[in-house]
Amino acid sequence: MSDALWVEKYRPRSLSDIVNQQEIVNRLKRFVEEKNMPHLLFAGPPGTGKTTAALALVRDLYGDNFRQYFLELNASDERGIDVIRNKVKEFARVSVMGNFRFKVILLDETDNMTSDAQQALRRIMELYTQSTRFILACNYLSKIIEPIQSRTALFRFYPLKKEDVISRLKFISEREGVEFDEQGLNTIYEVTGGDMRRSINLLQAASAYGRVSVETVYKVLGMVKPKAILEMINTALAGDFQKSREILRELLVKEGLSGEDLIKQIHRTLLSNDLQIPEELRVVLLDYIGEAEFRLLEGADDEIQLNSVLARMAIYGSKFLSGKQ
Amino acid sequence: MSWPLKYRPKSLEEVINQEDVKSALREWMESWVKGKPQSKAVMLYGRPGAGKTTLAEALARDYQLELLEMNASDSRNLKDVRRIAEVGATQGSLFGVRGKLILMDEVDGVNAKADYGAIQAILELISNSKHPIVLTANDPWDPSLRELRNVVKMIEVKPLGKTALKKILRKVCEKEKLKCGEGALDFIAEISEGDARYAINSLQAIAQGYGEVNEETAKLILRRKEREYDPFETLRGIFWARYAWQAKEAVSSSHVDYEMLIRWISENIPVQMEGIEDIWRAYDALSRASIFLKRAKLSGWDLLTYTFDLMGPGVAMAEKGKSKGTWKAKWKKFQFPQYIQLMSKSRENRQVRDSILSKLGKATHTSYNKTLVDTLPFVRVLIERETDIGLALSQEELEYLKGEEKGSTSEARPYSRKRPRGKRS
Repeated sequence: MSDALWVEKYRPRSLSDIVNQQEIVNRLKRFVEEKNMPHLLFAGPPGTGKTTAALALVRDLYGDNFRQYFLELNASDERGIDVIRNKVKEFARVSVMGNFRFKVILLDETDNMTSDAQQALRRIMELYTQSTRFILACNYLSKIIEPIQSRTALFRFYPLKKEDVISRLKFISEREGVEFDEQGLNTIYEVTGGDMRRSINLLQAASAYGRVSVETVYKVLGMVKPKAILEMINTALAGDFQKSREILRELLVKEGLSGEDLIKQIHRTLLSNDLQIPEELRVVLLDYIGEAEFRLLEGADDEIQLNSVLARMAIYGSKFLSGKQ
Repeated sequence: MSWPLKYRPKSLEEVINQEDVKSALREWMESWVKGKPQSKAVMLYGRPGAGKTTLAEALARDYQLELLEMNASDSRNLKDVRRIAEVGATQGSLFGVRGKLILMDEVDGVNAKADYGAIQAILELISNSKHPIVLTANDPWDPSLRELRNVVKMIEVKPLGKTALKKILRKVCEKEKLKCGEGALDFIAEISEGDARYAINSLQAIAQGYGEVNEETAKLILRRKEREYDPFETLRGIFWARYAWQAKEAVSSSHVDYEMLIRWISENIPVQMEGIEDIWRAYDALSRASIFLKRAKLSGWDLLTYTFDLMGPGVAMAEKGKSKGTWKAKWKKFQFPQYIQLMSKSRENRQVRDSILSKLGKATHTSYNKTLVDTLPFVRVLIERETDIGLALSQEELEYLKGEEKGSTSEARPYSRKRPRGKRS
């Protein structure tokens, strides 16, 4: 396991190490004492400790050998409910040794599953309820179908408080012998919105440039922005279709991006402040990007569809931007 | 005027090479002059552009015969051939005493059904004619020509050699007062494969496109004549079509695999079109074509016709200027698609990236997408700062993270991180 990445190195190992989310931790500790638990549903924004809490819980339950009682699945990575069903079946079939009556399955990003897949998941949960417990993690509770909500114990994770994030960053910095100034850490909190994963990643990357300050934090932020995408969009909007097409080809080749990757990144960029365009143009482009992604799902060819997006941008660019600069 | 027509030899003397054919034709004609024809008809056969029609026309001039011609573009049913036959059966000409030479061009183009009875009529014509008859054919061994073969004298017209082709080309250059490089003529002769018409057409194409014929310009717009696989012809048919049916026909008669053809079209849309609205409409149509292709694969090949509709007429009619009478096809070089090379490289790099993401994702308990967005960019910074991130990354993976490209495509402009951001103007 990679302990060179601080996100992992400083992930609390036991429930007792988790300093915030106190109410959640207390409830989880009771399951450990009773050596029993229902299916759990962890809901909350990214970087608030859902995976950490789940990992700490199984570690506290099973000790260092927890891996043989624990299966980690990612709804967005496993292709379809059948793959999940097979993996669960395989995992649940081997009976549990020792003091434990059940094994634990952590299914992350459950809210990325279609409601049909969630229905199937519900049946899987019921089928193996003797031998397994599910921990379902999601960002949006509203995207989880009611039958699942009613069969699980809900844990709501709230964004971390500023002082909790800062004190954790300070703790890590001191352990790692990293110099920092208060303003630098504040900046990290502000740009990540309290997402602990991003905060720690940003801290580590900034520390690679020396003292963690406002300057180094912004330096890293500048580097991690998808600049080529931004440039491609700006070039297309400026009406230079040929050049934007060249950048597109670079991205396809060099970054190995797929059409869908690119559409998603364009989508994110359209909503970010890095792209400075009239707000109404943003909306018009978002609509077209949605159409493009739909077409890709229908089987349209990546490169052709993206060329069409760039040409469309060039047209809209001349309509919305001409004469304004 | 098309140069192949303009510079067609006026007499057998002018025809370069083909000595055997010339003497065979003269001998045959002399036998007519003597009143004891060896045979009523000859069949000149050989590949396109070898000079069959040219030889027949030159022969007529040499012997001052009036040429009665029927070729592939004429309808050739029984009645038409009979009308010619009636004329042919009469001695002398309406105007004086000139004899006639009857030329039935491209008899292997006779459609067995549409031209029902035509072969029979030609046979009758041969047996009743008082005038010499020349038939030409690309493929004389067509089964429908069997009876004809028995009653005519067969003369093969061999494709012209490179030297002969170059001689012809040099002559045209001289008459057109064109500067023609030796290298260019070599190249044209090489790719024409014995087809004089193709060679002269090629020369004209370069001359009218660039004004000067050198090896560079020749290689820029000319491609080898490919009988099975000629995307350029298809592309011309699409991009230069003025009507939907022309573009549709170009696509459906093409020998190029349609998936490959989509690549060709995609590559050439921004080359052949200028207006951004046109370009967008063309890509939009092509994108719809690719969707219909997927649908055809899923739910039945009947839908393939819509793929063709959109990649042919859909792209062709994207150019709005075509509705105006002043629209002209542009003499722009068609480009080879880079897509294949592009995509295989992309796929290679994507595999490397995915393997990194899977290692990172496992190590940090995060999904593919989250790793891509939340972790990978920061890991790149760390790698750039020579920080060990503790994963067993391969050399290839490290190179990917450092953004080092292996074997970048020469056409592609290297993308530099330091380049100033694109600005709107």
